[in-house]
Amino acid sequence: MNRSLADLHDVELAARAAAGGRREFGELARRHGSAVRALLRRMGAQPSLADDLAQDAFIQAFQRCAEFRGEGTFAAWVKRIAARLYLKRVAKEARFVEEAAAPDEIGPTVDHIGRVDLDEALKGLSEAERLCVSLCHGGGFSHPEIAAALNLPLGTVKSHVKRGLDKLRARLQGPVGEGRSANVG
Amino acid sequence: MSADEFDPQIERLFAQSPSFPDAAVFAHSLEARLERTGRLRTLAVTVAGVVGGVVAVSQGLGSNLSLTADAGEAARVSNIGLANAATRTQQAVEAGLADFGVNLDLASAGGMPIFWLGAALLIAVALTGAMRLSQEL
Repeated sequence: MNRSLADLHDVELAARAAAGGRREFGELARRHGSAVRALLRRMGAQPSLADDLAQDAFIQAFQRCAEFRGEGTFAAWVKRIAARLYLKRVAKEARFVEEAAAPDEIGPTVDHIGRVDLDEALKGLSEAERLCVSLCHGGGFSHPEIAAALNLPLGTVKSHVKRGLDKLRARLQGPVGEGRSANVG
Repeated sequence: MSADEFDPQIERLFAQSPSFPDAAVFAHSLEARLERTGRLRTLAVTVAGVVGGVVAVSQGLGSNLSLTADAGEAARVSNIGLANAATRTQQAVEAGLADFGVNLDLASAGGMPIFWLGAALLIAVALTGAMRLSQEL
């Protein structure tokens, strides 16, 4: 039986990719490339860097495809690889400023029909808060994992996540009385 | 994640990712990169196999095994063992080739042609193995 790649489940595609199937891996990249790129941008990477790191993450995933057992989702697995690559880059460039202030001007996070823009809302967080919240909620990292990766005390990470979430909730509320439970865009 | 951090709306937002207009370009460029990496790996493994084969052949030529009578007693005994092993190997190879309809008298061919034949076979096997390995990787 010759099923098209689009019909195959991620686990099946990953198994074929582990045996050297580049086309199968290409299908996985088509399915999950945007999710990985979005996570890196949400963590604070510039778009071009995010795309480069996403490619590196997929290349690494291809080389280590045999390690993917299907216990979690394939997207989550690649996201973790990508997040670790970005953290390495941040550590290497010593760019991470723990108390960096959030930009004053950010665009609207809830549009006129109530759709919320998470990416715009994240811009209202400090670099540390943004990184910690994205790692926790987008990358599936636990607080101790984030603390170890960023070489920060666990309490500091918890504070960043809490403050970041509080700010996000406030931003995502939108104008009073509008669209809290509306569409997600 | 503690209970007060769990927010279904934020979880849902993070679970959704925007579809980038250049998603197809990203995937194509990744596939091209994988293709390039694969070719480079094949080339590297092949070159390593060839270099290994050449080194093996040159080491074989440089080993200068002596079958002369003026060697010491231990060397003489070991040379007799080597000669016996070589004879048995020749017979096995001749028998194997005969199964495929090839009748060769390797004993009359002398040492060097057999050596070169063996070296060529080894290199061919190494190259085939390297190619298969690179395809699997």
